[in-house]
Amino acid sequence: MRHVPQPPLVPALRNVERHDFWPGFIAALIGIILTFCGARHLTGVDTVDGGTATETQLVKAFSFDGLQYPDQVAPPPPPRGNDPEALERWARQARNTEAPTWKVRVDTAAKTPCPT
Amino acid sequence: MECTVPECKQRQPTELGRKLKRWRPWVQAGFLGVWLAPLGQWLHGIPSCVFHCYSCPLSSFACPIGVMANYAALTPVAFEVPYLLLGVLLFVGAVSGSLACGWACPFGFLQDLLGKIPIRKVSPPAWVGHFRYVVLVGLVILLPLILGFKGIPYGDQIISICRLCPAGALEAGLPTSTQSLMAGTGWPMSWFKTLILVAFFGSALFVNRPWCRIFCPLGGLLALFNRFSLFHLRFKPSECVECNLCRSRCPMGVNVDQKVNVSGCIRCLECSTCGALEPCFAVPKETAKSAPPSQT
Repeated sequence: MRHVPQPPLVPALRNVERHDFWPGFIAALIGIILTFCGARHLTGVDTVDGGTATETQLVKAFSFDGLQYPDQVAPPPPPRGNDPEALERWARQARNTEAPTWKVRVDTAAKTPCPT
Repeated sequence: MECTVPECKQRQPTELGRKLKRWRPWVQAGFLGVWLAPLGQWLHGIPSCVFHCYSCPLSSFACPIGVMANYAALTPVAFEVPYLLLGVLLFVGAVSGSLACGWACPFGFLQDLLGKIPIRKVSPPAWVGHFRYVVLVGLVILLPLILGFKGIPYGDQIISICRLCPAGALEAGLPTSTQSLMAGTGWPMSWFKTLILVAFFGSALFVNRPWCRIFCPLGGLLALFNRFSLFHLRFKPSECVECNLCRSRCPMGVNVDQKVNVSGCIRCLECSTCGALEPCFAVPKETAKSAPPSQT
């Protein structure tokens, strides 16, 4: 330990820094209420299986790369081979497939260990 | 400046100070059992109050800073209020301020252990602590938000707190890369992140808790509560003999001889060894009045 010399201070004049109870108590109470609300909160984000994601599912999705964006949902690949019927069927199917209406959704089964 | 107080260099720590100093590493080690997945990954849906990467194979909780950045990046697509995150941080901050930094944070514990290597330490000026708020506002909130408005999801953002974080490099990047190296498939962690990790280890040898002092956005956030948290340090003028043991022992270089409940403090309680600074809880005024006077 390197001793730091005492600057010229008068202890008797120093603020004792006593904290008031109520600001801390009220903030802690709001914290508890928010935590309980958050634990039961349903977000506005859908899940892949059609439900609504809870806040814990959303936070979990952040950890496991569970957020799915429309451009990440790959269209079905074209059929292999030169079968014109299959190609026609695939083209018709691709035309009939509507663009996703959702902007983001939660894949609750995602398990990617490191999203970044 | 020479100290004018006689015998100040011979002043010994109080009994409470000695106990706290002895217990702290054990408490920090005990908290590793909480953060390092004793419950599997069941609690990944809940943000913790310490700096610990959620991509670590051993993490129990979600990293509050990673969650905050993800919420910011998600805002342009789906605005959500992070009730859980706000609730956890508000509760922990209001009750204990930055006590979690000094006694529970695994990344802080690692820096404490590195700091025990006997190399002469450098003390950066106190103003560098403000950079934590630049990181918090700039890198954790604004940058993901702006890139989110540009349509880039958080995982694809090239610059983000998670890509620059040494805790992520150590707890997630290093195990994955070591595993990969042993399997003969190379070193997947980017050279930049590897460099950050090396710089972190290097700086932790010469500066006490460099990440906490200069960069940690979570520590900066929790330290804002130090000014009114229920748990706090109180100055007892009658005990002060101006020995300045408090300031000499402070590993964070805080001027605790002037003001102790400040944003640079990690509440390690080393300063309480002198006896003039006493850890205590705020109590309602009525209770305080009715309490019997202390015998000491």
